[in-house]
Amino acid sequence: MATIFWVTCPRCGGKFYCHTQDLRHTDWKLLCPFCQHRFHQDESPQIVE
Amino acid sequence: MASLREFLNRLEEEGNPEDLCHVTEPVDPADFEVTAVLQHLENAGRYPAVWFDRPKNLWGQPSAFSLVSNLFASRERCALALGLERKDKNLPLSLEYARREERMIPPTVIAPAEAPVKQVIRRGEEADLRIFPIVRHHEMDPAPYVDMTPFMKDPDSGSYNGAFLRMMYKGPRRLGLHMSPRHNWQIARKYEERGMPTPVVVVVGHHPAFYLGCLNVSPFGVDDYHKVGAIMGESVRLVPSETWGEAIMVPADAEIVIEGQILPGERDVEGPFGEFPGTYGPQRVRWVVEVTAITHRRDAIYQDVFVGHRGNWIMGAIPKEGSIYNRIKGVIPTVKGVHLPLSGVGRFHCYISIDKKVDGESKQAAFIAMGECDFIKHVIVVDGDVDPFNEEQVWWSVATRVQADQDVDVIKNVKGNTLDPSQTDDIMTAKMIIDATKPVRRPFAARIRVPDRVMQRIDLAQVGLTGPRSKQTAPASAE
Repeated sequence: MATIFWVTCPRCGGKFYCHTQDLRHTDWKLLCPFCQHRFHQDESPQIVE
Repeated sequence: MASLREFLNRLEEEGNPEDLCHVTEPVDPADFEVTAVLQHLENAGRYPAVWFDRPKNLWGQPSAFSLVSNLFASRERCALALGLERKDKNLPLSLEYARREERMIPPTVIAPAEAPVKQVIRRGEEADLRIFPIVRHHEMDPAPYVDMTPFMKDPDSGSYNGAFLRMMYKGPRRLGLHMSPRHNWQIARKYEERGMPTPVVVVVGHHPAFYLGCLNVSPFGVDDYHKVGAIMGESVRLVPSETWGEAIMVPADAEIVIEGQILPGERDVEGPFGEFPGTYGPQRVRWVVEVTAITHRRDAIYQDVFVGHRGNWIMGAIPKEGSIYNRIKGVIPTVKGVHLPLSGVGRFHCYISIDKKVDGESKQAAFIAMGECDFIKHVIVVDGDVDPFNEEQVWWSVATRVQADQDVDVIKNVKGNTLDPSQTDDIMTAKMIIDATKPVRRPFAARIRVPDRVMQRIDLAQVGLTGPRSKQTAPASAE
């Protein structure tokens, strides 16, 4: 699979992962699949890559 | 005419609860309640098609549409869908698929007034996806997903292509669309390069043979409406779309058709989504579909696939097995069977049995399989005395006929599948061939067997075979 990075939602703490090439270090607002919060990855309390 | 309801009626008449169950109480598909039912059944080792009589729509109200899922989760049902008998569920089913795939049956155009899918027409703001019981499948899915087949039309050749693609609910008239770099991706790319929207027709609910036909492995440019007709064994009836008229045709006997267009240059985040390998594909930046019209039967049945589970794997395997068998047979006439087992999600593992006549044929067969289907990662070639549909036999063969230093080959840097979670490269993968056949050029141990003449003489019905004896009925001891 493509390289991924795990993100933690700043609102609900849910963890999910994103496609690195598509989304890492971009201005896209990520979508938390658990609480639907849209946030910039800089707001995430933890990113694992 | 072949339709989903006609097939379901047949299962109803046969009355086998392992083929079809109803869920009569209300369930909320958007809150995982459909997939929870399917998961419970799977945990119990049961794989019926499940018809949900009273699902909720995306407003949380009773939907006007019932919902069917898990239809492909049995090879026997797939055999029935192609007009075969249950006993033909293994290689005969795959070979029949391959035989039909060599043919083309042109579609037939009918008048809208005759088309069941035109019984209700919703355009513009009335084309609201919330009327449907769209399923949210797995925990990390961010929204309900439509997971049936979008059809697109190549702007150059005019040929249609249909494929199972995931479509995320993003609003009443908006879907996020994921495409891998395959045929529909090629078509959308062409429209986008010309600055044009790509017309999309999503077929939600049709005869299972229609969907098996959509999984044909024909080259780009071959019209899928012709191929689907060949697999179904009858011409697909088409009718002009609401949005583009005769320029884009839609299946007349579908339960539901969602018409829309991929907006050129527009993207949004989509996913994660529980995918066919049984793992989530990551959140990505993907295409956006704007819904333009919805047409459906008055009492339409909404259809869904439980992605990443048995039905998804079986439907992926059948079309490939037959075509791989035919390609190998052209080079190795003694090929006996090809199977893409459930353990390989119907795609990643391939078992091939051959009556090997000269050393080297095993690897030749493996190369053909990998060349025919880029999903395949691991090929195990066994002798003709091993049934490739019997996984225990296949691995017995690996256990007893393989020396890893001599019989295993690894091929690096081959195009793989972007959803394979084990890949360490975005595109490329490693492939493996295990030659579990006996060598031809040196003596090798024989497989044990009870003599045929005695096997034929002994009939279990004639030898007084009974169950265990209780203490009361056990013969008295010598004491």
